[in-house]
Amino acid sequence: MIKTAEKKNNLITIILLIGAVVFIFLPLYMTIVIAVKDPTDMNNVLALPRKLRLSNFADAWTMTDFPRKFLNTAFITVVNLVFTLITNSFVAYAITRNRKKSKFFSIVYYYFISAMFIPFHVIMLPLVIQASTFHMDNIFGITFLYIVFGLPMNIFIYSGAIKSIPEALDEAARIDGASPLQIFWNIIFPVLKPTSATVAILSFMWTWNDFTMPLVLLTDQKQQTLQLAQYIFSGEFSVNYNLAFASYTMVLIPVLAIYLICQKWIMNGVVAGAVK
Amino acid sequence: MSVTSRHKEKKESRMKRKNKKVDTVYYLGVGFMAVLFFIFHTCAFLKGIFFSFTDWKGYGAWNFVGLKNYFYVFKNKDILAAYAFTFKFAFISTIAVNIVSLILACALNAKIRFKNFLKGIYFLPYMLGSLIVGFIFNFIFGNIIPKLGQTIGNESMSVNILGTSHAMWAIVFVTVWAGCAFNTLIYIAGLQSIDTDIYEAAALDGAHGFKRFRLITFPLLAPSFTINMVLSVKGYLMVYDQIMAMTGGGPGNTTTSIAVMIYKQGLGKGQFAVQTANAVILFIVVVAISIFQLRILEKREEKVG
Amino acid sequence: MKKKSVAVLLITVMTSALILPGCAKSDKKEVEFFSSKAENAEIMKTLVDEFNKENAASGVTVVLNTPADAGTVLKTRLAKNDIPDIIAYGGDSTYTELQSAGVLKDLSGADYLNTVQDAYMQMVYDVQKNKEQVPYAVPYAANASGVIYNVDKFNELGLEVPKTWDEFLDVIRKIEDSGETPFEYTFKDTWTLCCAWNSIAPDLAPDTFNDERRKGNTSFAATHQEIAGKYLELMKHAQKDILGTGYDDGNKAFANGEGVMMINGNWVLNQLVTANADVNVDMFAVPASNDTSHNYVTSGIDVLLCESKTSKYPEVADAFMSFMMRKENNQKYIDDQFAFSPIEGVTQSDAKVAGIQKDIESGKVANFPDHYYPSGFDLAEALSEFAMNYVNGEEDSKNIDTFLKELDNQYDAVNIAE
Repeated sequence: MIKTAEKKNNLITIILLIGAVVFIFLPLYMTIVIAVKDPTDMNNVLALPRKLRLSNFADAWTMTDFPRKFLNTAFITVVNLVFTLITNSFVAYAITRNRKKSKFFSIVYYYFISAMFIPFHVIMLPLVIQASTFHMDNIFGITFLYIVFGLPMNIFIYSGAIKSIPEALDEAARIDGASPLQIFWNIIFPVLKPTSATVAILSFMWTWNDFTMPLVLLTDQKQQTLQLAQYIFSGEFSVNYNLAFASYTMVLIPVLAIYLICQKWIMNGVVAGAVK
Repeated sequence: MSVTSRHKEKKESRMKRKNKKVDTVYYLGVGFMAVLFFIFHTCAFLKGIFFSFTDWKGYGAWNFVGLKNYFYVFKNKDILAAYAFTFKFAFISTIAVNIVSLILACALNAKIRFKNFLKGIYFLPYMLGSLIVGFIFNFIFGNIIPKLGQTIGNESMSVNILGTSHAMWAIVFVTVWAGCAFNTLIYIAGLQSIDTDIYEAAALDGAHGFKRFRLITFPLLAPSFTINMVLSVKGYLMVYDQIMAMTGGGPGNTTTSIAVMIYKQGLGKGQFAVQTANAVILFIVVVAISIFQLRILEKREEKVG
Repeated sequence: MKKKSVAVLLITVMTSALILPGCAKSDKKEVEFFSSKAENAEIMKTLVDEFNKENAASGVTVVLNTPADAGTVLKTRLAKNDIPDIIAYGGDSTYTELQSAGVLKDLSGADYLNTVQDAYMQMVYDVQKNKEQVPYAVPYAANASGVIYNVDKFNELGLEVPKTWDEFLDVIRKIEDSGETPFEYTFKDTWTLCCAWNSIAPDLAPDTFNDERRKGNTSFAATHQEIAGKYLELMKHAQKDILGTGYDDGNKAFANGEGVMMINGNWVLNQLVTANADVNVDMFAVPASNDTSHNYVTSGIDVLLCESKTSKYPEVADAFMSFMMRKENNQKYIDDQFAFSPIEGVTQSDAKVAGIQKDIESGKVANFPDHYYPSGFDLAEALSEFAMNYVNGEEDSKNIDTFLKELDNQYDAVNIAE
């Protein structure tokens, strides 16, 4: 009985391996191979390069002003992450714990949840106008908007987790004389770590890969993000696929690196976020 | 009654009162964020509704025009075509993504070698931004597949599918490619929560293979299925990045989704007010579909529970 | 211990992320030069660099911005009231919109205006709202749309440049008989669909069409039957995958010997040379009519320069305009782009445009019809549908009827909306 349970299914393994090679590995392999090829070496796209041409990366680096765009994207992602985790979790905590005590929190809760029904493109046009009136069409403004716009989803995720924390934990701390902020920061926030991981991953993926909001809000070239730069430069990349793919590779590498390091964590986090 | 217990009682009653009273910090924190959200999100939404009754171009002077923009949306062939495309696309993509993910999840959940490695590989597309994925596949459809088609002498494969009336299928393919990762993961989580004892019992009853899947696995996967359906439909109704990267809405307007249309016509073609009206209608459609889905969801949960 | 190092790392990343963009912002003494064409990005960059070197003393630098989908980006910025300091754009309805929004500076009194040929200045006035005679923009380069042909292949096949529609069909037939493909089309980028239309329509449409159409006195269906028919006819002699070939891929293929002709504009030449330095091409006007006197070269303002009213550094913006309009700098641009100059004394003498040079000099030119269609009118999309229906095997006369009707419907929709 035990022996049969441990028998591996080789057929499915092979099919899955072939699928992974053809559908996942091949496109990525192609991207990287083109990125290191010479433009004259494109007759057989999938063949290994005759000669490594790393200058594609250097050219794409200067052409798209990669370091600056990278810092912009990193700024938006990191600042958004930190503020989202702190503020959104606290709001979720305050709402969840007080919903039974005060109508105010119930109303706010339903207000946020119903806002989840509004897709971004519905508010896109007026937002463009509004953001420029408030001078928010720069990386600081867009970071702020990410923090605020993430609220509904994050409150939804957090409140599920907060409900499962026994209120006795808060009570005990309160009796010890802790203020609400202290209770939250010293007791609740640490318990929420796994949920915060989920929120962190989702926020990171959203801001790093988002293209729509930067497209309509960030007009100053010096403030643009990596994703937006790929679109903006698609015209100038035109005649040179090698340069374009070198640029794509450079944008993909940080994400791939993060994925390699915390793959398990990310996969668990995404499931937790969706199932709650 | 001792002194201490009376003291305790007093403390408890005080605590209860205190419990009822909510600390101002909570009001401040929640109120502050709610106000910010109202100003930057809800106000934009309300302004959109307001603009939809004007003839504003996004700049300059404007007048109220009543429901004219809404009539225009319902009469305009292109906008209706965009709705038709978007619904068709969302429907097909949702089904395709869920079928492929379900198969993948079952396969990845089987007793296979390199399980974690394979899971990791198949989840990888989730990490990649859809714009760049779109660009990469744009190249594959435009340069690699036609060459392949010419070599093997297949007529329909030797043209760039993005330049034909089947361009939608290419976009569906890319969407499935990028979307499967997430859905598969959810299904795997669902499959793992199924008790293996049930399978053993089923095996004794003679349920194997597809029959077992249909009668036991699938019903138990219902919660995962619901999550995937709801999230997929909502996501694919807003399809945007892939289209911008691959076809820009063409050929003709065959792949112009509502989101693409709002961007291109609203900001680029001076139809600001008309497209805000379109956005309002889109909002109503999304809400209607969401409520419809939740209803069905509730009904099913009643049945299961 | 490990936790601490993670925390330190996080804090370092955060502070650097916080500080660095901040630094970048503080030294921002810049004038933005918004340019709409990817084709001229390189020469524009060269000119901008030269100006910045020359003007280093002012402490203000000009920065070039050439986004993809420039029209939408520019209109978005118009909505945001965030107008670039200097704009290089085509003389089309987007410019009209920009000008009528009242955000552009009146350039009257600038020295360089005296060097501009009147005919080209008039072209600018023509696309301004109510044809207002105030110089809100100055023409920088004129283009020409027509047939670009591979000279070597023409010589090989013993072909001569056709002067009439019949001769044109004859040339096409001879090319096909030799086993070559007459045309290389690049319709995946839908704007390229307009080129053939813009070349055929002026030869055959009534002169008063645009004005009469605006008033609703005439229709596409009544006047553009022959034009649509000839457009369709040319499409039948192109490579198989017309709708799947992108502009860049098609140009590359053509420069490397695929196809014998392209219908596009002089702006392609620069791309062809980039793809193959030895490419031997020339241009001729599309002979859409059998009456040679009607076979115009379609020419319009490819690039005009304008200034924002609200530039932070107007002196620098002015200086940059004057710099750009210097004869030697305009000449550099014209040479690089195979374009034609509206400035007196700057001439185009490259062999790659020799075939249309004479027509342009003698003024046998027609305006781009699509520059005069209303701004919401999407000719490219309608043509793309027209082409797709053809590829899908739709019957010709039916296809033409639907297409022209669609043009009229669309025209009415946007015309009333204005």
